[in-house]
Amino acid sequence: MDFSFTTDQQDLIDAAKDFFDGENTFERMRSIVKGQKVESLWPQFVELGLLGVMAHEKDGGMGQPLVLMAAIAEAAGYSGLPDPFIEVAGITVPLSASPEKLISGSSQLAVLSELRKYIDHNLGDGTAVKSIDPLRNLVKVEGTCDQSDKANYHGAVLSAAQLIGLSQRMVDISVDYAKDRHQFSKPIGSFQAIKHHLANVYTQIEFTRPIIQLAAIKGGINVHSAKVSAIDTAMMAAETAIQVHGGMGYTYEVDLHLFMKRVWALCGEWGDRNYHMKKIEEYVLQGDAKLGPGNTFN
Amino acid sequence: MNIEFTSNQKEFREEIRTWLSAHVPKKRLRSFDTAEGFEQHRNWERVLAKDNWGNVNWPEEYGGRGLDLISWLIFEEEYYRSDAPLRVSQNGISLLAPTIMEYGTEEQKTRFLPPMASGEEIWAQAWSEPGAGSDMAAIRTKAVKDGDHYIITGQKTWSSRAVFADWCFALVRTEDGSSRHKGLSKILVPLNSNGLTRRPIAQLDGDPGFAELFFDEVRVPVKNLLGPEHGGWGVAMSTAGFERGLLLRSPARFQSAAARLVKLYKSREKYLSSGIGEKVIQAWVDTERFCAATYQLVSRVEKGASISSESSANKLFWSEMDRQLHRTAMTIMGAQAELEEGLDSIDNGRWLDGYMFSLAGPIYAGTNEIQRNILAERVLGLPR
Repeated sequence: MDFSFTTDQQDLIDAAKDFFDGENTFERMRSIVKGQKVESLWPQFVELGLLGVMAHEKDGGMGQPLVLMAAIAEAAGYSGLPDPFIEVAGITVPLSASPEKLISGSSQLAVLSELRKYIDHNLGDGTAVKSIDPLRNLVKVEGTCDQSDKANYHGAVLSAAQLIGLSQRMVDISVDYAKDRHQFSKPIGSFQAIKHHLANVYTQIEFTRPIIQLAAIKGGINVHSAKVSAIDTAMMAAETAIQVHGGMGYTYEVDLHLFMKRVWALCGEWGDRNYHMKKIEEYVLQGDAKLGPGNTFN
Repeated sequence: MNIEFTSNQKEFREEIRTWLSAHVPKKRLRSFDTAEGFEQHRNWERVLAKDNWGNVNWPEEYGGRGLDLISWLIFEEEYYRSDAPLRVSQNGISLLAPTIMEYGTEEQKTRFLPPMASGEEIWAQAWSEPGAGSDMAAIRTKAVKDGDHYIITGQKTWSSRAVFADWCFALVRTEDGSSRHKGLSKILVPLNSNGLTRRPIAQLDGDPGFAELFFDEVRVPVKNLLGPEHGGWGVAMSTAGFERGLLLRSPARFQSAAARLVKLYKSREKYLSSGIGEKVIQAWVDTERFCAATYQLVSRVEKGASISSESSANKLFWSEMDRQLHRTAMTIMGAQAELEEGLDSIDNGRWLDGYMFSLAGPIYAGTNEIQRNILAERVLGLPR
């Protein structure tokens, strides 16, 4: 029993995080919002081997487990990365029998699922739909879905992980804002009302990340617990962040809205709260599952 | 990451499960906040200690089994699964013992840990004062050195278990003229000392779970100083870390309550409004989250990480989860929620007891408001 990453794994996660934060800057996202053309990050995903994190080593991948991908998804969420990298690297690649083309960047594809109505326009065909998230360019999927429990499992875990990354980012930018913004001749972050709001969000994040990791390793009911917890945490983080930003949070003048809107989007993707809550209800209230101490890791 | 238990850990789980099923009292003990219940619980500590089950993660020489914290979590899981009695020794074993192991002299370890493990000496905490609650650095109780003794004068309060306990660990001002965090020391004091008066305080349930302690020139040998003289704040903060964090509240306690809550819900489902089911589920999900987070924290501690401000998030999470869980139970019980025992009471008032106790969680071990300040300032970096 060792429920923590190895040093090598942590190094890989840190490298991915540095890359996302370094490349997907506020400037890049603002340019996309303004409709300006930006450099695709895909060649760099290929060069760094990041698309093959979960692929078998024999296919040129790193052979890493979903739990590591979840940590990378958290980092991607933190940066607000709009590119459908997590989709391809965390779902399409591990479900593909021959992922070489995906890893080499010559193909980009989404796995279709009944749990996802809209996909990035680069990943498949469909009719354009308009998301409130100005960084999401989506199409409505037409045709049959590849019924895939594994895709749904990966999708739920990785969307939950991105939600936690987004939550942490919204806390961090709110802290920065609260240190900078002065009222009554003091930074507003020195007031307990602000402190306590943000401490509550921090606490929820800290107690959601581990269940996401458990879901990534063990699957099962934990997947539903993880997604519900991530949704609740992220919505709370978004609402707290806008409150801390005050009127500025309600505008395009600050970048908060980019992260908040991504939260709204990911809450409904790969199973919304109702879907996952019903699964837990079937398990806990209607089933004859073993509940109580000693069952979580057994 | 590897979330499999080793074969040794699995055997350990079987072993403790077998032992508990043979030894846990069939009849629930009375509350340890009554004189009779206190002695019943002390006896239970003796039973645990006789077969070395009281403190599995302590070194063997002091009455433990020298096992790691994962084994301690397994022990806790089986302990709460078996519905064994609450630990009357918890202030000693969870809060003081880790501090003695970190700061105590060899002589202090040998003197205090074995009788703590065996239940012969039960400990109470003596930190808060009428004027030093959340603002603990406002402590005024003084200890003046007189040869090889300290002479302690002052007043402590909210001292849990102190009405019936044997010893207390006090935080007092040893440096004359010092203020705030400086000049404090931690001193171990027998509760039957001359000049020490205990005034029981009835808690919400009517039982004297707290005492107020009046020190009137109480003489204590200097060798009862724990850690550096005048350096008591640092020593106390290490205890507070244990208290808010890992050792006081393992997930098993709450997971066991969540499983009972599901049963309670199922037994009364047809009377309940549609929203209650979701609250029950939320309670279960939250206890699973707490469990996953605790295993992760323990894994990091076993690799050498230290716990600091994280313990504040821990305390916020479990105390609010516990209150919500028990409030849901109160809602489910409806008109029967007020019944303590006897006719029509559910589980002899156990949920009511649990709810009352859950209301203390956000207050003791540093109020949740203090924890939020700690997180905001020390973790998030917001200005003071």
